[in-house]
Amino acid sequence: MSDRTTPAAVPDPAVPHSLGDTLAGGWHDRGDDLPPEDWGRRGGSRRTGTVWLFALFITAMALGHAWVTDRLTSEAFLAWATIFTAISFQALPFLVFGVALSAALTAFVPTSVYQRLIPSRPGRAVPVAGASGALLPGCECASVPIAGSLIKGGVAPAAALTFLLAAPAINPIVMIATAVAFAGQPEMVLARFVASLLTAVVVGWVWVRFGRADWLRLPAPTHAPGESRWTVFRESMLHDMMHAGGYLVVGGLAAATINVMVPREWLVTVAGLPVVSVLVLAVLAILLSICSEADAFVAVSFTDFSPTAKLAFMVIGPMVDLKLVAMQAGMFGWRFVVRFAPLCLLVGLLSTFLIGGIVL
Amino acid sequence: MNRIAQGLTLVLLGAAALTSTVATDLYLNWVKPGFGPFLVAAGVVMVLLGVLVIVAELRGEGKEASGGDTAEEPSSESHHEHGHGGHDHSRAPRVAWLLLLPVIAVFVVAPPALGAYTVENTAAASPPPPEQRGSVRFDDGIAEAEPGEVVEMDVRQFVMRAWLDEERLLAGQEVELTGFAVPDPEGEGWFLARLQMSCCAADAIVNKVHITNRPAPETDSWWTVRGTWIEPEGEISHVSQHEFEVLEMREVSDTPDPYEW
Repeated sequence: MSDRTTPAAVPDPAVPHSLGDTLAGGWHDRGDDLPPEDWGRRGGSRRTGTVWLFALFITAMALGHAWVTDRLTSEAFLAWATIFTAISFQALPFLVFGVALSAALTAFVPTSVYQRLIPSRPGRAVPVAGASGALLPGCECASVPIAGSLIKGGVAPAAALTFLLAAPAINPIVMIATAVAFAGQPEMVLARFVASLLTAVVVGWVWVRFGRADWLRLPAPTHAPGESRWTVFRESMLHDMMHAGGYLVVGGLAAATINVMVPREWLVTVAGLPVVSVLVLAVLAILLSICSEADAFVAVSFTDFSPTAKLAFMVIGPMVDLKLVAMQAGMFGWRFVVRFAPLCLLVGLLSTFLIGGIVL
Repeated sequence: MNRIAQGLTLVLLGAAALTSTVATDLYLNWVKPGFGPFLVAAGVVMVLLGVLVIVAELRGEGKEASGGDTAEEPSSESHHEHGHGGHDHSRAPRVAWLLLLPVIAVFVVAPPALGAYTVENTAAASPPPPEQRGSVRFDDGIAEAEPGEVVEMDVRQFVMRAWLDEERLLAGQEVELTGFAVPDPEGEGWFLARLQMSCCAADAIVNKVHITNRPAPETDSWWTVRGTWIEPEGEISHVSQHEFEVLEMREVSDTPDPYEW
């Protein structure tokens, strides 16, 4: 404990007669003056409270398992629960390993490496940043903080933004997930790669030409210097897991609800309209906010929709969605988001129609 | 959400993944069998991470890493915490509590495989578009069957043959199909159905054959039927449902993996 920070501990030269008195007086006074007297204890009691809360939760689940499980007979609810669980558990391995890899890169690869790899001229840096997005596994939640640290590290903002768009859309894990989901349709993997990369690069170039520095609010340092790399790794993984995981569950809930509740005829009707169906799935991608490592599995479940509409779902999803907009606003400010998100949506749709028309 | 809560949530989520794969076969109701090992690995990683976080927090390391603030966040919006001082690793947005929903789903609801309800409420699979028809390769044993041999097929394989095989090798061939019973809401007879998944239950496609010469068994009960395809008149790709004549049927006591793929 340090005395220096507390005014009460500054000895008054007039009062004490001995060192012992000083200390005793200091200790005594401080008891009243320091608000966080029970500082450590309060933290401890909150921890204890949390543990009790979870103990209660587990007990409630055990009771629920004993009493409720067999009484759940509503077929609609069970079908909903099955699809929700299926989407969550399908995405979980991809999420966990994506988050682990991105945490490893955050912890063990210094940003100077990226700076060395990315040219300093913005116009040339943009395509390089786009292509290097293909190397970094991770979902969009991971790429937002990485893009922030790139800008801080001196990379041109337009290039960092291109990277922000490209990394979650075309990285190897997402490509593998897409290939697994669309088994037997390699053209879908190709179309996704090309359309996403095209969108990211075009948005970057537009930003080079028209973007203004004062739209971007630069982020503060991501972690304290001097932390051990393993601590950075653990913290980064926990952070990404909590953020991405929470929003993944939101996406799973919404997707399961749409899957079970929305009348099939309605979706089939919409699915039959050529341009509207593409726009509908683009809007769904924005609303569902599914992690890019899992969105292919959701896209493939829209069996009634055209391939171009599914492509729109996978191109728009990793670049514009509710969760991402919230994260970008936190990182770069709202002045940035109100310009950036509509731009991405527009370019993404144009590139979807173009590539979908050529490849699919 | 404080760090202890985050750690415990991860442990529970990992435990749910491990329970549904290692301790039980529940995961087969939701995803393909091939995903088992990945789920086990993800479960192990999550439990480990959760335990590490809890241990670090109890030793007080978390304070160093996060600036010592374990207070509840003022707002549920995640961008607030990003906005002030970049990352504060000690807190998670309230949306992270939702990670407990899959845990509840596994331990309390234990969702069953999709069945008759989904079949009744899903538009039946439509025949593949014309451009794919020429290039179909059948993966069943019909072409190699000896005369008089009963061929065991997936409902998926049967439906594919019935829709696409212009040579009509299925005609007169005795086959054996396994699936669950679904009542036909629009008339007499019932369906023997099976769901085909390409990845998880969310993308399940319905394959079914229509049976009229036997009374409908209890909905969702599993049966193996032996019988023949009733050849339709006209173009095979224009039929909306595949008729099947049953010669013999027996109830399946040991229900197989609910899905085909």
